[in-house]
Amino acid sequence: MNARILAAFALILVLASPSLPQSFKKKRPLPYEFGRVVLGSGSTRTGLAPVVFEHWFHRARFSCRVCHVDIGFAMKTGETAIKAADNMRGYYCGACHNGKMLSEGRPVFEACSKNATADDAARCERCHSSGKPLKLENEFAQFARPFPKERFGNGLDWQQAEELGIIQPADFVKGLSIKRKSLSIQQDFALDAKLAGMPDIIFSHKKHTVWNGCELCHPEIFMGVKKGASRYTMVSIFEGKSCGACHNTVAFPLMDCQRCHSTPPVQR
Amino acid sequence: MVNGKTTAPLLLTCLVLCCLLAAAEPMWAGAATAEPENWQKEFDDVCSKTQDAMIFSQQELKALVDRCDALEPQIARLDETRKKVYLKRLQQCRGLYSYVLESKKQESKK
Repeated sequence: MNARILAAFALILVLASPSLPQSFKKKRPLPYEFGRVVLGSGSTRTGLAPVVFEHWFHRARFSCRVCHVDIGFAMKTGETAIKAADNMRGYYCGACHNGKMLSEGRPVFEACSKNATADDAARCERCHSSGKPLKLENEFAQFARPFPKERFGNGLDWQQAEELGIIQPADFVKGLSIKRKSLSIQQDFALDAKLAGMPDIIFSHKKHTVWNGCELCHPEIFMGVKKGASRYTMVSIFEGKSCGACHNTVAFPLMDCQRCHSTPPVQR
Repeated sequence: MVNGKTTAPLLLTCLVLCCLLAAAEPMWAGAATAEPENWQKEFDDVCSKTQDAMIFSQQELKALVDRCDALEPQIARLDETRKKVYLKRLQQCRGLYSYVLESKKQESKK
């Protein structure tokens, strides 16, 4: 194996090592924490705890496009600047959390009502729960039981779970989604790894377009229009650019190398 | 009996209140309940074609970008929440059409 590849693997192992000082290394989230988003700026000003958003819980029910295109949640934490009034008007969290929408036969609890009383505190704390020892109604372990397992991230193979029918993410929210024709199937394609001996990347365009649509990735995340003109480096991806916009935060993380670098090594 | 001096200000107050009520968007008017307005019909029509972006001609894509541009000032006049939601959505939809148009222009130069 090429010395440079060995060095890359060694670096990943060092970064993943639990013996590395916490000041240097970010703590790797546990499977139930992976994808968690904490939103605080607005709520703390009003005396409420920051909102803890469990991404795994929601991605099991909705496609990426429903939330990040139709509802309009930004891809970066805090960029949407959601206010309670937005939720009350039926947008953002309030698009589903309105006390009317049904999920598994039960109404989805209402987010941010105008006339909340002391009796509503428990309901408020279902979202405004940062720092509170609250037990999730839907325990991750119970949720994860039927899923095919993976090594990193949430420890779940979401793609296979969908193929097996364990999850059926909805692609439409009444009142916000636009009725669209179904997307024509996009072909998967290979991307050169640009490093001798490193397996090439097979990019599943099909899977990404079914979950995301086109406008979620282009041009905001992938902006180059000329094929091959944009250079994607592992450094920029680790910084959260291109693939790193999702694959380190909510989708399987970057240390799961061979899920992308999946072709046999090519001699160059 | 009500005389003219008291009736006029009373009527004026009622008129002002009616105008304010008509103009205000009720807090409970959820996304799903309101009748689609003209801008919304146009938005739904323009942005419902994103999955076909690759098969449109350059002229069709240009027309879609222009329609997005025409929508922007209308959405910018909406209340704070809808402005935030729909300007972001419009930006995504316009961005895609413009992106595909640009890539088609580059391809045709080859």
